Amino acid sequence: MPEVWDDEELLAALGEALAERQAVPPEFVQAAKNAFAWHNIDAELAQLTYDSSRDADLEPSTRAETASIRALTFTSAHVTIELEVTQDSLLGQIVPPQPATITVQPREATETTVSADEIGRFSIRPIPAGQFRLHCRTAINADALTGWFTL
Amino acid sequence: MGDDSSVSALVARVCDGDQGAWDELIDRYSPLVWSICQRFQLSRQDIDDVGQSVWLLLVENIGSLREAAALPGWLATTTRREALRVLRVTQRHDHADLPPDGQMPVDPGSATIEEDLIVAERNAALRAAFAELQQACHDLLSLLVADPPLTYADISARLNIPVGSIGPTRGRCLGQLRRSPHLAGIIGDDAPHANVRGGRR
Repeated sequence: MPEVWDDEELLAALGEALAERQAVPPEFVQAAKNAFAWHNIDAELAQLTYDSSRDADLEPSTRAETASIRALTFTSAHVTIELEVTQDSLLGQIVPPQPATITVQPREATETTVSADEIGRFSIRPIPAGQFRLHCRTAINADALTGWFTL
Repeated sequence: MGDDSSVSALVARVCDGDQGAWDELIDRYSPLVWSICQRFQLSRQDIDDVGQSVWLLLVENIGSLREAAALPGWLATTTRREALRVLRVTQRHDHADLPPDGQMPVDPGSATIEEDLIVAERNAALRAAFAELQQACHDLLSLLVADPPLTYADISARLNIPVGSIGPTRGRCLGQLRRSPHLAGIIGDDAPHANVRGGRR
């Protein structure tokens, strides 16, 4: 067997291991544990792939006209959810366009449901306060849930 | 269930819907995800974003992991990919404020990730072994690795044990730790000494 750690090395490594865990904020660990609630949801994750407030020039040609409006895009394998934040509402577009049921899931309040029309448009009014996510079930076959986000 | 705390056993229980097993996996591997995010110098908000994606992707995919033992590697790779995704979003913002070359957060590269992974797996095994020590050993070793370091006189006073017993107890406790099944093949074989960071002595 190759060299074995002596007591000093073992103790130093233990110190490092315990310090590494202490460096992780408890909220980070708790959020990870909470993610297990996802396991019985038959939806795929729609990830934030665009946020105009963080990503000013990702799509300059298509976004120029609405530069002052915050826009976000969530993408899953089967469906994309585009959102625009207006003064008093949240306007959405399902891509590819199709009817859908959108459930707004605020962390601290009860869910509400809106429908997307036959060309995939929907609006949520008022804008949800605090952290929330959207669960989008389309009439065809997509079932996507966004990560938590705040506007 | 003999080797109940192995990664494979935990993954199997998670697939059966066992929240306790999931929590155990998180306790074991969240420092791995966290430390990789730190390497990318992400903001706290971005780390939370990466964490959320990694854990949700894990919930979605844990049933299809071909080999449960590959989980730590899967986590490291996924964390790295998600960190790069977040960096792509944030770095396009305000070019003018980008730091000079050399201070840019860059992909530390797969070699570094490999090192992180080895260290993180070893650290997780050490914590698992440490958690199963007798209380007396748990208490003593905690104080021996305290930062800033404590003198034997401090430790003697805190634990109400003679200074002269600290050395022998330390040896006995480290022997227990060393024999833990969690550390089999980890600290004796090809453990990379060069990667022991933060040694205090």
